[in-house]
Amino acid sequence: MSFDLNFGWTSTIGEVMLGATKADGGTRRLSYRIGGGTTLPFLESRADSPSPLIALEICDYLPFWSPIVKNYCGDLVNSVGEWAKAADASYGADLIRLYLTSTRQRNFSDIASIRKTVEDVLSASSLPLVIEGSNEPKIDSEVFQTCGEAAQGERLLLGTAEAGKYRSVAAAALAYNHSIIAQSPIDINLAKQLNILLKEIGVQRDHIVIDPYTGALGYGFEYSYSAMERIRFSALKGDADLAMPMICSAIDSLTIKEVREAEPGLQDELATRWEFYTGIAAAAAGAEIICVRHPGTIPLLRKAFTDMKKPAGPSAVR
Amino acid sequence: MALKALDIYKLLPKKNCKECGDPTCLTFAMKLAGGKADVDLCPYLSEEAKSVLGASTRPPIRLVRVGVGERFFKVGEETVLYRHEKTFYHPPGIVFRVRDTQAAPEIAAVTRRVRDETFTRVGADLRFSGIAIENTSGSAETFAKAVAAVEAEQAHLPPVLIAKDPAALKAGLVHCGSYRPLLHAANKENFREMCALAKQYGCPLVIRAATPEGLVQLVKDCTAEGVQDIMLDPAPETLGAFITRSTQIRQLAITRSVPELGYPVFLDSTLTGQQDAAIVLGIVKYASVIVTDPLTPGPAKAALTLRQNIYTDPQKPIQMNPGLYRVGTPDKDAPVLMTVNFSLTFFTLQGYLESTRIPCFMLIVDTEGMSVLTAVAAGKLNEFLVRDAIKKFGVENEVSHRKLIIPGYASPLSGRIEEATGWKVLVGPRDAAEIGEFLHEEWKK
Repeated sequence: MSFDLNFGWTSTIGEVMLGATKADGGTRRLSYRIGGGTTLPFLESRADSPSPLIALEICDYLPFWSPIVKNYCGDLVNSVGEWAKAADASYGADLIRLYLTSTRQRNFSDIASIRKTVEDVLSASSLPLVIEGSNEPKIDSEVFQTCGEAAQGERLLLGTAEAGKYRSVAAAALAYNHSIIAQSPIDINLAKQLNILLKEIGVQRDHIVIDPYTGALGYGFEYSYSAMERIRFSALKGDADLAMPMICSAIDSLTIKEVREAEPGLQDELATRWEFYTGIAAAAAGAEIICVRHPGTIPLLRKAFTDMKKPAGPSAVR
Repeated sequence: MALKALDIYKLLPKKNCKECGDPTCLTFAMKLAGGKADVDLCPYLSEEAKSVLGASTRPPIRLVRVGVGERFFKVGEETVLYRHEKTFYHPPGIVFRVRDTQAAPEIAAVTRRVRDETFTRVGADLRFSGIAIENTSGSAETFAKAVAAVEAEQAHLPPVLIAKDPAALKAGLVHCGSYRPLLHAANKENFREMCALAKQYGCPLVIRAATPEGLVQLVKDCTAEGVQDIMLDPAPETLGAFITRSTQIRQLAITRSVPELGYPVFLDSTLTGQQDAAIVLGIVKYASVIVTDPLTPGPAKAALTLRQNIYTDPQKPIQMNPGLYRVGTPDKDAPVLMTVNFSLTFFTLQGYLESTRIPCFMLIVDTEGMSVLTAVAAGKLNEFLVRDAIKKFGVENEVSHRKLIIPGYASPLSGRIEEATGWKVLVGPRDAAEIGEFLHEEWKK
């Protein structure tokens, strides 16, 4: 009797590099290679298969950010550089994901400030960086060009390309050799379509990270979870247009009712557990970058991922 | 492998006696092939045919019930590895553990909490499933007292009795034996005594071994002793071990490659040293009973919500009843916001509207559970649907103005809705999170 699991998969998730060290022409102290999976998450027999990365999300304009984070982190959130430094040195993130929320203000036009913000974050921490740009066609091109140029050589992950707006992000990524996040609304077919569009304008597969869009736990996560499983499954079966690593960011976790309206003494517990439960489940479904906003979630995820990577002893899957 | 109806038919007596309740042996064979009938209904089967059919027609994972009365739960009868292939049917029982070394009032308090605590979301009442009592003291007498303390609350919760020593279980069963408790756990040393207890009280039995070989051997031993209702505890030392073993069990069971593994999985989330993570992985990776220490509010709500999410049919959008809903107590001047009856859209928007503290009406139209984006693309959301909903739900009598706020993603319809309804249309934001700002800036003008 054989107890081996053989799913008959022949394909591999493509690899993507995040960040560039001196040797690769950047200034980051380390870089990551994600992807490379050949089976279901955490069933890899390779001992060196990567653990999911944990990204702390920060922003440059606070009114659009959850007060829970401000209360927890204190004054340092008023300086995006200080915040980035803390993400690295105090909170222990693997990646920093900078949201340029300042660009979401009405009639925003101060592009010069964007360059300064990106430079501040790059000098405050030497972790690889993810940047979320604007969400307004009138300024997108300029914003992404500015980010791309300011971080030239650093192998950023730039976000976010969507079916209706991908050209500005892609142009900046192509011009300065960054990778991009390709987001589709919880639908495997739309995810594939967008990747094909990106391919057609010249973005290489190894420069794309799929964001299947993560609904918060209780608010759409049931769909996101299966979208991730399906993407991973299709990729392993051989669909090259879906064979990229995935990023999970349940950006509404801290604004949903259960967390927002928790008693003050319980708010951090609710916030971190909501992010943690989502992050672990998403990692089990195949996400390789897990984004959080509450720094308290990071050590919880770190500890769990370490144990999830521990091999299963004598009956390990071969 | 599953047998086809014709293969099954060949093994039947072909008498068409109708004693099984079916008109012919062929129709009975078709039912068997679909897992919709039991081989035992045929009185004329040879022993050999029975054993062949029994193994291949029963569900790949056995259905096991725990507890009796209103709060009983059943697990098993799952058919897929991925929920998108079909769905997951029977959500895991999440049971709170007490130890027999705890004082009786503490044990009673946990019991009452599981009995009473309800967390309501998306219109459903979510609850924890039962009480596990663990024989930490090593004394059968102490264990029996703890079980008695739980039962004294008259909570009628499904019990799980955890003890290494059959003598302790026996003492506990005196107090809850007729409530179909789950017994934990049989191993290769004690399985005979454990099976004797399970048979005596007619209750399900967990077997525990860290390898599939060990589990298969124990299943064979216990079924030979006459116990059918079995659960498998793969005894994971790490979270990785759980993912691997549980996936292995599920896959080998649903493909019928190893029929002996066709039983629900039991997980003690406290053993990995990382209870929260184990609960998450138990829910998404096929556990059917999850034992945990009583949870604080954060993990409690997150666990119940995740279980609800994962055991929602992924192919069926959850729908709200179309209608006119009130947020606060809106008056004749209150804004009216139209959106679709996809429940996530509804609850997300409702949450944000509540926090604006502006009383208003939500006009929910029937897009068969589609989101705004999908409904617009599919033409489900159109001006006539909106016009008819305004009439049907009497919106004109509720407000004195004629202004309708529509979702940002429905903006292509704004002109046509104005023509069809005669109402002035205001296009709201795409993201519900911005509705507060929108109402303050646009509505108040």
